[in-house]
Amino acid sequence: MIAQTVISMLLIGVVAYAASERRRSPVVAWLSIIAAAAGLYFTWTPDHATQVAMWAGVGRGVDLILYIWVCISLIVLLNLHLKLRSQMELVTVMARTIALAEARRRLSENAMPPQGPPQRVSSGRRALGRTGNPMLRAGKERL
Amino acid sequence: MSMILNNAAVHCQMAQPYERSPARVWVVIAAYNEATVIGRIINEVKRRGYTVAVVDDGSSDHTAEASAAAHVVVRHPINLGQGAALQTGIDFALERGADVIVTFDADGQHRTGDIEKLIRAIRSGDVDFALGSRFLGCSEGMPVSRRVLLKAATLFTQLTTGLRISDTHNGLRAMTPRGARVVRLRQNRMAHASEMLSQIAASSLGYIEVPVTIEYSAYSLAKGQTVGDALMILLDLFARRLYR
Repeated sequence: MIAQTVISMLLIGVVAYAASERRRSPVVAWLSIIAAAAGLYFTWTPDHATQVAMWAGVGRGVDLILYIWVCISLIVLLNLHLKLRSQMELVTVMARTIALAEARRRLSENAMPPQGPPQRVSSGRRALGRTGNPMLRAGKERL
Repeated sequence: MSMILNNAAVHCQMAQPYERSPARVWVVIAAYNEATVIGRIINEVKRRGYTVAVVDDGSSDHTAEASAAAHVVVRHPINLGQGAALQTGIDFALERGADVIVTFDADGQHRTGDIEKLIRAIRSGDVDFALGSRFLGCSEGMPVSRRVLLKAATLFTQLTTGLRISDTHNGLRAMTPRGARVVRLRQNRMAHASEMLSQIAASSLGYIEVPVTIEYSAYSLAKGQTVGDALMILLDLFARRLYR
């Protein structure tokens, strides 16, 4: 009874987690819900678990529940992988925004006329000409 | 509407000059650790009058410095992958008012003369995408294993997208601004080529295949895809369908 209660609480936790992930990754969520629901059912009907286990060639009902738990773990692992991919997409958007903003800034800098007193203009130009930054140099050509 | 230029006889012909301003044609080159070859590629493309945008994808070598001759160098702060770099370049070209956007590999396996063919195909075919095909054109020095791999990838793409194409992972392609706007690459790495074809199929915009020449070298083969990469592409495409 104690083991059944603990397993049931864990499986209910899995169902709750899967339900919260339903919008982000529906396939993974539904697989988790189905596996957890099957686990819950077999936990409280061990006779049925044994019958299904024998039919499936597993042997004992408890083994079947264990295998279902392993399946759930793998599905949750897959979900974590998908979450990482999703995070990578956000990183990509951020990196792209930074890269494009930097490129725009370089182009507009080079398109603007030099500012400041005349005696400093020439030194500014020399400094610009000497720069090792390829983006500054590239921006000199008119687009 | 979809069209396929299926005339092998025209491959390797010299292209006729493009009547509009070639400067409105943006050639986007995604480069990652290509310092040894990128300068030559940029100069060859510039010689034809096109605007060159190099996207340095967080290279750890001197690719950015070697790309100094390009009109624009956009630098990713970290390495993201070729798909991400191409999308960045396409976005930039779009916002600068490009007339035609061409994607061009940085490893030197494409011929700059083929760009003209793509542009003319877009203009004359009234389509939004011109896709280079090495199997309609020439491929010099392609190993048998690469040919088998590409044929398998092409068959997979035909089955999954419904596009009647002969070459699926050819980095030389051209698109109109309208076409470029439907391309939203979320596959950062090599699966972007298949993803782009899926998006073309889903958009119902017109496309055409153009015979182009691919020159394989030891350098480009080392940078190319293996069977393991192909499996990763399949996994990437599958994983992408599992989440929003």
